[in-house]
Formats: sequence, structure tokens, C-alpha cells
Amino acid sequence: MLILQDLAKTYRTRAGEVKALDGVSLRIDQGEFIAVCGPSGSGKTTLLMMIAAMLRPSRGTVQFEDRDLYQMTGAARAKFRARNIGFVFQMFHLVPYLNVLENVLLAGAVARSGDGRARAEESLQRLGLGHRIGHRPSELSAGEKQRTAIARALLNRPKLILADEPTGNLDSQNAEGVLRHLQSFQRDGGTIIMATHGLAAQGFATRTIDLREGRLA
Amino acid sequence: MLIIRMIFKEIWHRKVNFLLAVLAATTAVAFLVAFFTASKASERETARLMLSMGYNLHVIAKDADVGVFLMTGLADKTMPEAYVGKLAAQNSISYNHLLATLERKMKWRGVEVILTGLAPEVCPPGQQKQAMTFRVEPGTAYVGHHIAEVLAVQKGDTVDVNGKALRVERCLAEAGGLDDMRIQCSLRDAQEILGLPGRITQIKAVDCLCFEKGDPVTTLRKEIGSILPETQVLQVKSLANARAKQRQMIRNVFAVMLPFVIMACGVWIGVLAIMNVRDRRPEIGLLRALGYDTVQVMLLFLGKALLVGLFGAAAGFLLGTELGLRFGPRVFEITAQAMLRPESSLFVLACILAPLFAMAASLVPTVIAVTYDPATTLREE
Repeated sequence: MLILQDLAKTYRTRAGEVKALDGVSLRIDQGEFIAVCGPSGSGKTTLLMMIAAMLRPSRGTVQFEDRDLYQMTGAARAKFRARNIGFVFQMFHLVPYLNVLENVLLAGAVARSGDGRARAEESLQRLGLGHRIGHRPSELSAGEKQRTAIARALLNRPKLILADEPTGNLDSQNAEGVLRHLQSFQRDGGTIIMATHGLAAQGFATRTIDLREGRLA
Repeated sequence: MLIIRMIFKEIWHRKVNFLLAVLAATTAVAFLVAFFTASKASERETARLMLSMGYNLHVIAKDADVGVFLMTGLADKTMPEAYVGKLAAQNSISYNHLLATLERKMKWRGVEVILTGLAPEVCPPGQQKQAMTFRVEPGTAYVGHHIAEVLAVQKGDTVDVNGKALRVERCLAEAGGLDDMRIQCSLRDAQEILGLPGRITQIKAVDCLCFEKGDPVTTLRKEIGSILPETQVLQVKSLANARAKQRQMIRNVFAVMLPFVIMACGVWIGVLAIMNVRDRRPEIGLLRALGYDTVQVMLLFLGKALLVGLFGAAAGFLLGTELGLRFGPRVFEITAQAMLRPESSLFVLACILAPLFAMAASLVPTVIAVTYDPATTLREE
């Protein structure tokens, strides 16, 4: 499903060049739950952003179902991302002025997948947020915020979910709940790539990848 | 989710930011409305004040002695009365308030007076204005202050002027000039008294070249000369210059102030828009990650700017008009009643210009917003 070939990313800073990723090659099949582990600054988020078609590599290619993402135009990549990839972030990234339902529907506007509202409501019910759909993010607990973000990620029925430290701001109970929802997506045939520090999170993964200073350990 | 719905929700969420931006647009629009209303009023006021100084344009017969005219204010030759009709029939000309007169010095009851026959004032097509001078009805006379005093003439008397009976309609207040020595009657009566039917000695007028560059009298001579070749044109420069300078000054004051106000309000809106963009960086990053393209993100910010402009236009129009109504009478004492009315055309203009202005001020912040690298934003967060 996903083939990463010799991926590298170099940032230029005032202090000089920083290699965030250096020659990562990887093959990920559909239905896998990949945990990307490694200390802070090891390149986990950079790797996720490249797979998300949001960060052009300095070197190498990202092939998603035989399509080279960075050969596409920016607009085509944006559309591709909307239809195929869901995101879950550590900081939730919910829009503060929209309620729970609207935050979920935000993902549907671009993908135009149709019947978004019914699916959003159904998804929120399944995630235990049926009673919260009219609430603003500021009125939710951390666990509820992350479940809202998962509902948003699932709305367009993506093939891949990229999760960047999704349990980083959650207590163990909420973290486990979130991971179970992600696992359920994977069991339905979806693919998950999750950057994480947590050992508990790694327990849900079907494969763990260790990154050290931008390289596969 | 519709972008429009997001715009309204965001505005409601960040009310203070929106209200401050609307305030900036309101200030700019209020100033514009006040400027146009006031400039119109001030032009009217100035014109009225200047008109009270009298006619500044004199058309006399070609064979009249200019020296005599300049020394006495009276032309020694006559010309056909029909000339005034010819001038009044012209379109797109640079003069107005045409007044045909017939004036002659004569002895009356042993005193040397100036008999002045006045035709009703006429204006060219499309330039109808209130007459600058009074209208003397046939069979009546307006008697100058000095004559009335020396000859004990009173309002209501019937006087005989060379065999023509005229009822004194008014004895004029002291003017301190030639007017104190005039007996003013209708043109017809003066022509009858002087035995000059269908003749006049001059046409008085006011030129409308206050904002023209160059010497207006050259323009006027060319213009009037082509219509009435048998005449000569004299302009009282001191009056013309005073009028032009006064009107120009008002225009200059606003021309200097306006750009500063517009610029300050533009910067104000721009700074608020930049702050708004900074506050919304994570949201912009998220939208880009979800696949929203440049146009959609731009619409979020420019749509908000559009609303800022529309609200600012409405509030600014109301504020500017209210300020005009409240403070106008103190500034424009003479024409206050005439000028103090809401100008609906300004409202339409404000509704078009204010949103464009707000969007222009928000353009740079919007470009900043769409160029944010979503990967960087989301990674930083």
C-alpha cells in the first residue's frame, strides 16, 4: 500500500543543517497498525508529515498505492489527502468556534463524500459522544476531544490514519479507549501509522518501527 | 462545512477582534461621509457667501468705452436685449446668474441719480439657481438709501420718473456705494423712461471657473465671444480670485486629511487581521491538512474582511450622517437647512468601497495565512 524509498529531510537552521530524516525505506501493507517509536527529535513527526503529502522530502519518494505523492500538484495532493488520509494529533486540533459535530464535518467538506452528517452522527454515537455533538471543544474533556478528532479522521472512510502521539495528553483510561477505537478501524481493514512514546500504545500495534536520529534502528 | 458558516461562527467566537476591525472601517467611512457631506455643504456655503459679494463678470457692447465703464461702473453704449437670451440658451458654459441691465445717469428732482432697469435673472439650461438679486416688478421701484434720504422718498410713495409713475416698493438700506444713488426699476420701465426699447447696457454674470487652471477670463472671452462677437467681457478679478481661493482651500483641506485617515484605518484593519491570522495558525494548518486549498483558506479571511467592510459602511454612514446633522448647523450657518440631509448615494458608495477597502487591508495577512506551511504549524503545535 505504501512504499517509502530512501526518504530524507534536511532543515536549514541558523546553527547549520539538521537532518531530520536520513535514508528511511519502508514498506507498509494495508491493515497494518504501525507504531513509530523513538525519542523526541528522532524524526517521527517529519516522517508522518511526509507520508501525509504535506512535507516534500529532500530526497526519496513516497508511493501510495503506486502513486508518487510528490509528483502530484499541490492541489491534487490536497484532494488526495482529503479522500485517503485521516489525522489524529496530540493537541487534538479542534476548531474552537465549531461544535463537536461541525468539527467532524470539517473533514467532509473537501472530500465531498456525501451523507457526511449522518455518518458523523453515527460515528460520534459509536465513540460515546452522541450527547456532546452540540458542545464546543472548550466544554469537552481531553478524552472527548481526542475521540472527536478520531471521528473527524474517520469521516471520509480513509485508507490510512496518521496519528501523532494521540495519547500524549490523555490519562491511561482515555488513552486505552482511543487506542481501541483506532484498533477497531484497523480491524475493519484500515491502516494506521502512529508516532508514540508510550509502551501501552505499542501494545496495540502489529509492527513497531524504531527511529533514531532520523534513521531506522 | 460551508465557509460562510465558518466565517460567521468565527466572528461570533472572536467578537472583540471583529468589533475593533468594524470600528476602523466605521471611522474611515464616517470620515468619508462627513467629508463629502461637509464639502458639498461648504461649497454651497462658500458659493453663497461669495455670491453676496456680487456679480464678477460684465458683458458690455463692443463699442463701449472700457475706461468709462471701469471708472463709473456704467457702459456708455447699448446692445440688444436679445443677447442675454442667447447666452442663457447655451449648454455647458462657464457662467451663470445672467442679469440684463440698462443703466444711465440722469437728473431727477435736481439730484443726479442712476436709473437702473433690471430684467429677471436667468440661468442656462440645467443650472437653475436661486436668483442673487431681487426682482423688480413692472410699475415699482427700489430707491437707494441716499436718494430716499435727500428727497424724502418713502416706501409706498408713487414717484414720477420722466413721466413714468412708479410705486416705491422699498427704500434700500445704506450700501456705502453706487447702489445708494440708484433708482432700480424693471428693465421694461427703464427702457420706456430712457426711450431705449429692446436695449441694455450690460449683462452681469458669475463665472463658474473656480477650479480651473490658467486665466479664467481668457476662457470666458473665448466662450462668450463665440456666442456674442459684438461684445467685450470684463472680469472683476478680486471677486473671482477670492471665490476661487476660498473654494479651493476647502477642497485642499479634505484632500490632505483624507489619505491620512484612510491609511490609518487601513493599517488598523491590517494589524487586526495579522493578529487574527496568528491566532488561527493551528486552525489554518488543520484545514490545509484536511485538504482545504488556498482559495478556501483565503475565502475565510477575505469573507470576514468583506463583512467588516459592510458593517463598517452601515455604521460609518449612520455615524457620519449623525455627526453632520448634529454639528453641521454650527459650521454652516447660512446653508445648514439646505445641506443637512442624508445622502443615500453615499450609502451605496460606502457599501461598495468599504468592503473593498477592508479586503485590501486584509490582503497581506491573508496571503501570509495561505503561505503557512501546514507541516511546520502542526509540528510546532
